[in-house]
Amino acid sequence: MRSAMKKVFFTSILLAAAAGSHAAEPLKFKQMAPIYVDGKGAGIRQPEGVSCKGNALVVADTGNGRLLRYTIAGDAWTPSGEIVLPQLPYPIRVDMNTKGEIFALDGSSRKIARIAPTGEFLGYVAPAGEVQGTIVPRSLRVDRDGNLYLLDVGSARVLSMDPSGKVLREIPFPKEYGFFSDLAVDAGGNVLLLDSVRKRVFKAAKASTETRPLSESLKEEAYFPTAIATDRQGTIFLVDQNGDGVVILGPDGSFKGRRLSMGWKDGFLRYPAQMCITENGTAFIADRGNNRVDGFLITE
Amino acid sequence: MTLRAKTALVLIAIVCTMAVSSSHAQDKFRLKPGAKGKVCLDCHETFKEKLKAPFVHTPVKAGDCSDCHNPHASSHGKLLSEGVNRICFSCHEGIVPEKARSAHKVVTEGNCVKCHDPHAAKNRNNLLQAGNELCFGCHQRIAKEVAGNKFKHNPVEKGCLNCHTPHGSAKTMSLLKSDVPGICVACHKPDAPSFVKQHMGYPVAKSNCSSCHDPHGSGSRGILWGKPHQPVVNKMCNQCHLDPSSPNALKTRKAGLDLCRGCHNAKMNEILGKKRVHWPVVDKMSCENCHRPHASRESDLLKGTQLALCGECHRDTIERLDKSAVKHKPAQEGNCTKCHLPHSSNNVSLLDNTNSINLCGTCHDWQKHSSHPIGEKAADKRNRNITMDCMSCHAPHGSDQKRFTWYDVKMELCVQCHEQYKR
Repeated sequence: MRSAMKKVFFTSILLAAAAGSHAAEPLKFKQMAPIYVDGKGAGIRQPEGVSCKGNALVVADTGNGRLLRYTIAGDAWTPSGEIVLPQLPYPIRVDMNTKGEIFALDGSSRKIARIAPTGEFLGYVAPAGEVQGTIVPRSLRVDRDGNLYLLDVGSARVLSMDPSGKVLREIPFPKEYGFFSDLAVDAGGNVLLLDSVRKRVFKAAKASTETRPLSESLKEEAYFPTAIATDRQGTIFLVDQNGDGVVILGPDGSFKGRRLSMGWKDGFLRYPAQMCITENGTAFIADRGNNRVDGFLITE
Repeated sequence: MTLRAKTALVLIAIVCTMAVSSSHAQDKFRLKPGAKGKVCLDCHETFKEKLKAPFVHTPVKAGDCSDCHNPHASSHGKLLSEGVNRICFSCHEGIVPEKARSAHKVVTEGNCVKCHDPHAAKNRNNLLQAGNELCFGCHQRIAKEVAGNKFKHNPVEKGCLNCHTPHGSAKTMSLLKSDVPGICVACHKPDAPSFVKQHMGYPVAKSNCSSCHDPHGSGSRGILWGKPHQPVVNKMCNQCHLDPSSPNALKTRKAGLDLCRGCHNAKMNEILGKKRVHWPVVDKMSCENCHRPHASRESDLLKGTQLALCGECHRDTIERLDKSAVKHKPAQEGNCTKCHLPHSSNNVSLLDNTNSINLCGTCHDWQKHSSHPIGEKAADKRNRNITMDCMSCHAPHGSDQKRFTWYDVKMELCVQCHEQYKR
């Protein structure tokens, strides 16, 4: 009887240890088919932007000066057209609202083009009314309600605007920072800022105008992260441009792991740029150095 | 005699024997007079000469060699009782103030012997050399500049310690005895008519003097830094700043990029007309991220050398370069602009050419000897959207392989594409 109890005791300890180690493991990136071409079979060149909402995927095909649209169906994606606009000669960052409108930052003019679902140019984004300071957007993000967030490096702030352009909030950059390259808005409406130089994530809570450090400096974990994305669970993903990988942080900013590495073949990265994640956990990464968009299924 | 008495006698005898043998042992191990140091000189005879120096370290003078050395054995060199980088701190603990704003690197590293002789020296504080000569032993760039300066700063000639503290400073940067401008206005009275005239009436008493002046002297009148901004040379401060009579006289007429555009409009148009801008150029600090507005030691008014300046943000690249066994020469020399354009470019990574083949070709005559196909028609087998170029095989800054290839040439590089030859 006593030996039987001993066996049960040790087995339960082993099982608990196994479960614990499993829970601590970072998310996995399962490689899916990458996107190399447009609908006509022409190659993508130096893509830097990618956005996914519902079953729609938009790619900033930066080197070819155009936007490419794809339709996601399960684990496959099919081309659904291109957008070429003289007002957007060099798209470097993109996002979409729930109506299917596209917002794309142009690298050469440093303006954000607003594009109708039909592909028509609607104008450049500008806040309604008078706003102090020069606006130089480095990145942008659209939240679930259609509010637009500009990472304005020209005046060291984040500008939040409603769909009509009315400024809702100005979030000044914190006192001490290196250089902010990207921002994200998580499911809870919190604004996350990525400092590429100090390798740190800052957070401004929903409706707050104050930013506070969320993560420690990720000096040991990242080289030069330039893009940030979140999934619906609040997990934070940093795209490490110079480290050719993705750094994973918990919603509290704690380091959870690092995935992917440098290479030319499918599943590897070279100077990756923007990243987006669909509701069902499919991640797309604009892989600038590899002239393609990589797809991964993020799993536990 | 009873048994009890006999037992008592035996016990007394044992105790007496033990006491006598113990006192003998104590005599045997008792230290000789002067054992803490003076007897050391019986063997270390040459050291006697050293002790004739005018300045002798206190424990040495007291003959307490064992304060620092273990006479029997040690895990450290020279039988030191602690590591050479730690032993001085066992007495001189607070030599660098806690939370110091600046500390001398040799001190924090415990390299006290770089400046001090631990036993005796000709100079006060056991310094190895007197005056500026000691400092100039390491700070050779400053030494060279000071020697060649046409316009000298008098306190520098008299001694570095006029302005600097040698170990650490609790309150100031650069080991200064007090902050700038406090340390400067102690001698240069801002309300003196000549001072006011020299500064065009601008209220600079609380400004950073070293923004314009080289505290170690200079080749330019007014000890301006070697490469001054032309409006400063021309004393045209009001070209950028408000008039000296205005309430905010030191405020600039415009902010950031717009201010510099006033004179450098063509340059600005060229910079901003390209597809990719170096983002700091257009942020709030703009030009001042990299350039000093008044004067600099570096050309183009840069804040520092390229390696130091670019490394402020791109530390990851510099650190990886440092770790690379084989380095690309321009990167090693800190000549970042050999390949990258600092302000803007039409190419990724702000490269100075559309493709890496042409860029590398400006220095390397690959066309004459390269046998591997590269260029638009040479597909990269690893990726259908990429063609072969220099960076297909070479890491542009450096790597651990010969000719800074990504992988070992013998075993790994070629088989990345030619997989059939993989062993």
